[in-house]
Amino acid sequence: MRNILSVYFIFCLLTVTGILFFPPEVYAVDELNCLQCHKHRGLSRIDEDGNFRLFYINQELYESGPHRHNKCKDCHTDIERIPHDPAKKVNCTQECHIVEPSGQRKFSHKSVAKTLTQSAHSKIDKNGLPKEHQEDYPDCKSCHDQPLYRPFSAFKGDKIPGVSKRAMGRCKSCHTGGDFAEDFYDHVTTRLHKTRFPMETIEVCAKCHEDEEMRKRHELDDVITSYKETFHGKLLTLGSERMPDCLDCHIVAGENSHLIESKTEPTSAVHENNVSTTCRASECHEKAGPMLAGFQTHVTYDRKKYPLQFYMLVFFKALMAFVLYFFLVLIFLELMRRLFPTFAFFKEKKREDYHEYVKLIKDSNRNKH
Amino acid sequence: MSKRYAPIVRKDGKLYFYRFSAHQRVQHVVLFSSVILLALTGFPLRHAEEPWARPLYDFMGGPNIAPLIHRAAGSVLLALFVYHTIYWMTLFYKNHIVKLREEKRLTVRSFFKALLSLEMVPNKKDLFDIIHLWKYLLYFTNRPPRHDRMSWREKFDYFAPYWGIPILGPAGVALWWRDELSHYVPGIVLNAAYIMHTDEALLAVLFLFFVHWYNVHYSPEKFPAATVWLTGYLNEHDMMHEHYNEYISIMIENGLEHEIKPQSFGGKDYEW
Repeated sequence: MRNILSVYFIFCLLTVTGILFFPPEVYAVDELNCLQCHKHRGLSRIDEDGNFRLFYINQELYESGPHRHNKCKDCHTDIERIPHDPAKKVNCTQECHIVEPSGQRKFSHKSVAKTLTQSAHSKIDKNGLPKEHQEDYPDCKSCHDQPLYRPFSAFKGDKIPGVSKRAMGRCKSCHTGGDFAEDFYDHVTTRLHKTRFPMETIEVCAKCHEDEEMRKRHELDDVITSYKETFHGKLLTLGSERMPDCLDCHIVAGENSHLIESKTEPTSAVHENNVSTTCRASECHEKAGPMLAGFQTHVTYDRKKYPLQFYMLVFFKALMAFVLYFFLVLIFLELMRRLFPTFAFFKEKKREDYHEYVKLIKDSNRNKH
Repeated sequence: MSKRYAPIVRKDGKLYFYRFSAHQRVQHVVLFSSVILLALTGFPLRHAEEPWARPLYDFMGGPNIAPLIHRAAGSVLLALFVYHTIYWMTLFYKNHIVKLREEKRLTVRSFFKALLSLEMVPNKKDLFDIIHLWKYLLYFTNRPPRHDRMSWREKFDYFAPYWGIPILGPAGVALWWRDELSHYVPGIVLNAAYIMHTDEALLAVLFLFFVHWYNVHYSPEKFPAATVWLTGYLNEHDMMHEHYNEYISIMIENGLEHEIKPQSFGGKDYEW
């Protein structure tokens, strides 16, 4: 009897500890208990290629992303038992267990992958042949390295980050079951504005477009640096969210955001015939004339490509150097002159009476009048 | 401006020389206030990547307010430019043209002669003064240059904004009204305006910070700050040091010929 009581007591203690230290919702989608290991921050190893790999899953971040209802095994399909062998790379185009409500079909990113093959970032060229330097072209995770929701609420004209409790109250009056209202809210409001802060978008593109080796291989200009030189880039850096990032100009309005085309394609948003339409979009330079398209955004100050800007820059640099060096040397010498105020290689005539000089001025002034 | 200012004021045994009218001093205050506001709201943008840019820009109102301040201050500065141009033209008309017309001597030649005789216009003496100053600085003479009413340095300080505003201002206006402008001129004009605006602004601010502020703040005679911009009067020491010719002329005109002091050479009176 005593034994049974003590077992019961220990059982109660464990349960209480469990409730206190492991809140139940944390493990909602983790049916397979993967987090038992992956919750540890240090879980990592050096892989065969010598790269450091971190396998820690931040539960809080995972819960604030669009994949929060996917079970681990929905994507990591090759894992059969625990502990598992090194997992294969996830194929984002496979069908997952979530049913897409508009078409009642299992969800897949296949259509996105298809759009990507029609864009400038495709691994294959127009004839279906693999392009050179295959490994340079991005896959899903090159850009979507941290898919997170960024919900917002608009209350009395002000945009406020996060879920609107006021809106949620209205949803919940009908949609009472489960987390449906929250999910739908996150899903929709995240897409009503930029999913990322514009500066993050620039950084995503910069991962490749700022890489000097890669730019050389593909003969690309340093568009990141030249973008940051523009008013758009500078105001973004200073925290404005109203300025356009890469995607705003390089995607045709209403098009799939994965269809970024080269400026040589006639359908591209930045093809010379389309630039004026892109700039004069309703949210941007609406009142501008078509000639605004002549503005050069990605100026590299290359002498052959941008002669006007190059020579203007040379002129102003020369002017600045001349003026500043002249005066800085002058100021320096003047300060030095104070150290030896009376010294000179050639002295003025000593015997001259300064009254004579006063008379000289007096006479010359009289003549003027 | 009805109050008359005495050309020389004696206070506590020291002489002070009248140089700038209240009208001119107010123009200077408007000028530097707007320039400081323009620099504070413009330079965080020019150097947006620097760590100080974001806090300063936020202090000036951030991306929503700072541009409004910048444009308002720019408008004031452009208005001041126009006002000042009308101001000196009116003075020129009153003091020279009217006189020439009364004497029936107004010709193209006499008009330009009068224009070139204006106190701010650089002349041959300025060139000689610059050469003399270099001789002095390189120890080839022990006598500093003797300047007239306006030294070449003051003329340079004057023409820095007078050349800078016509470059910065229209370029700024073009960038401000870019959409409206794009109906009339090609977009590349905005590229040019952008370079003109940012690079000329850098030159202006560096010049003001190093050169003008040396002249009126950092130099040992002036430190921590000159007061002539506030009172309109310059003390005798600085007057002799910076405008010795003008000093003598004014002293003679005001019957103080017997009090004229010899030019001071590096703190010690030169043995005449």
